[in-house]
Amino acid sequence: MKAYKGVLLTCDPAVKQLILSIDERLRFIIMDLDETHLLVSPDKVEWMRAELETELEKNTYTLDA
Amino acid sequence: MSTVATPSQHPAKSIESDPTLSFSEQSRAAGIGAETINDFLNRQPRSVLIRLYEKPASCLAIFRLVPMLARQLIMQMLFLDGPLPVEDVLSWMSKEGKREYEDCVERLTKLSILAIRGQGIKQTLILNGVFTEGMRRALTGGGDHRSFGVPCDTEDKNAVGVGFLDEYARTKWETILHYMVGSEGSVVPREPVLYLLRRSDLMKKTNETSGGRTSSLGITSRGFQFLLEDVNTQLWHLLLQYLDMAEERNMDLVEVLGFLFMLGSLELGRDYSTEDLPETQLHMLEDFRDYGLIYQRKASSRRFYPTRLATTLTSNASPLLTTTTTTSSSGGTEQEEERGYVILETNYRLYAYTSSPLRVAVLNLFVSLKARFPNLVIGSITRESVKSALSNGISAEQIITYLTHHAHPQMQRNDPLLPVTVSDQIRLWEREKNRVLQESGSLFTEFSSQADYQQVLTYSQQLRVLRWNDDQRRMIFVTEQGNEPVRDFIRRRVVQS
Repeated sequence: MKAYKGVLLTCDPAVKQLILSIDERLRFIIMDLDETHLLVSPDKVEWMRAELETELEKNTYTLDA
Repeated sequence: MSTVATPSQHPAKSIESDPTLSFSEQSRAAGIGAETINDFLNRQPRSVLIRLYEKPASCLAIFRLVPMLARQLIMQMLFLDGPLPVEDVLSWMSKEGKREYEDCVERLTKLSILAIRGQGIKQTLILNGVFTEGMRRALTGGGDHRSFGVPCDTEDKNAVGVGFLDEYARTKWETILHYMVGSEGSVVPREPVLYLLRRSDLMKKTNETSGGRTSSLGITSRGFQFLLEDVNTQLWHLLLQYLDMAEERNMDLVEVLGFLFMLGSLELGRDYSTEDLPETQLHMLEDFRDYGLIYQRKASSRRFYPTRLATTLTSNASPLLTTTTTTSSSGGTEQEEERGYVILETNYRLYAYTSSPLRVAVLNLFVSLKARFPNLVIGSITRESVKSALSNGISAEQIITYLTHHAHPQMQRNDPLLPVTVSDQIRLWEREKNRVLQESGSLFTEFSSQADYQQVLTYSQQLRVLRWNDDQRRMIFVTEQGNEPVRDFIRRRVVQS
């Protein structure tokens, strides 16, 4: 019997893949739970969100400059 | 021009909003106009109310606030010396009216205006003595209570007209609103106003200029909802906050309320003397100048003019200031603007037929404006513009409500009113913000048997702290609050077995 403290992330599968790729740069995922859930360390959540935001922005195309 | 969003955003789910939620209900949900002056008065202890009734002006103001039937009851009893048997009152009413009558009696008892004596059919109604006295004075005149304000007996060399006062009140009030929406070149109101805005949660500090001397304030979701209301509701919302603050500032609530009610009874376009006002009320005079309730030529002036904002406070007569468009510098005519002025096209383009800087500023919160003409602004709803609004706490639903509410009459032919592509996309953009949800807690793994796992699972379900579980791998995630009880449960159980 083991217990981990952490933050549960709930997201769609696409975003999860992005998060996994961010994790390759700096490990913060404690455990990969399933398609849409991840357990991560609490102190990295803010950083991860910022990284994810920039990652998502790359995939957005806007017609007005 | 539109923006293209990433295609992966929950495309299968239909986006539903609750169409039954009306505009005013949304406001109530946001807490705007939720409490009225009536609720505030109902909350006050009897001693405060009785002291309030010593002023005839307050009696009259409250009389104007209660429903028609309650007014009728008061009038029936006002010049009656003894108590009024309930039986008699009921004999005037139809059966349908009885419920309404009971509501009124309840209201009036809460306000300590009315008291019920006796039981059963022998019940009688008694009007409060202080209230009776005050109300009689208000109606028949006499006495030196001076609660209806003291008109100046000397002529004002710099007298101002009604037109000027209306203009003044509107400018003052719009200064506050302009500041809230952060229009360019808007004047920063004085600190007490800012404090009130912060306190009522209409604006909050933004971190952007933390290095600067004054950290600027940004509009909140509540503040945005506030902007959608009519002026009277806005005014009362702020004044109720002001009343709540009164005690903290060691102001006598009775005097504060009394002053408000006095203002409601003053005559527009007259000057009143400040000489007999007690300290508290002089202080309020100063505060109310900032809201445009009152005009004084100089701070030290011994006279003041109430504006339309003040004189319509307690009447349900036409709410103040007609929102006329400000005259354009090119000498355009001042004209009544229609309520609907926004046209939204399926290509996210938005045309707003307005010349009011305030409306343009409000639109600027969630529209990227492209061109501006004397009576028309053109812009488009983009991902960036909506995202910046969302980050200010304005919700997608509020944007859609605003657009619906101010839709141009030409749009009324469309069904649904707004292009579905646009309204759905706005909601999708909001959802995009919440693509990742997070919750702190604990993950329990490596249960030695399926039975153990099942027991802990059921227990955490009962406590409603379960957030995620996996039967195959025997893992359970519980919230922070659930952590301790579940851990204790496991310990207890392990000891037992």
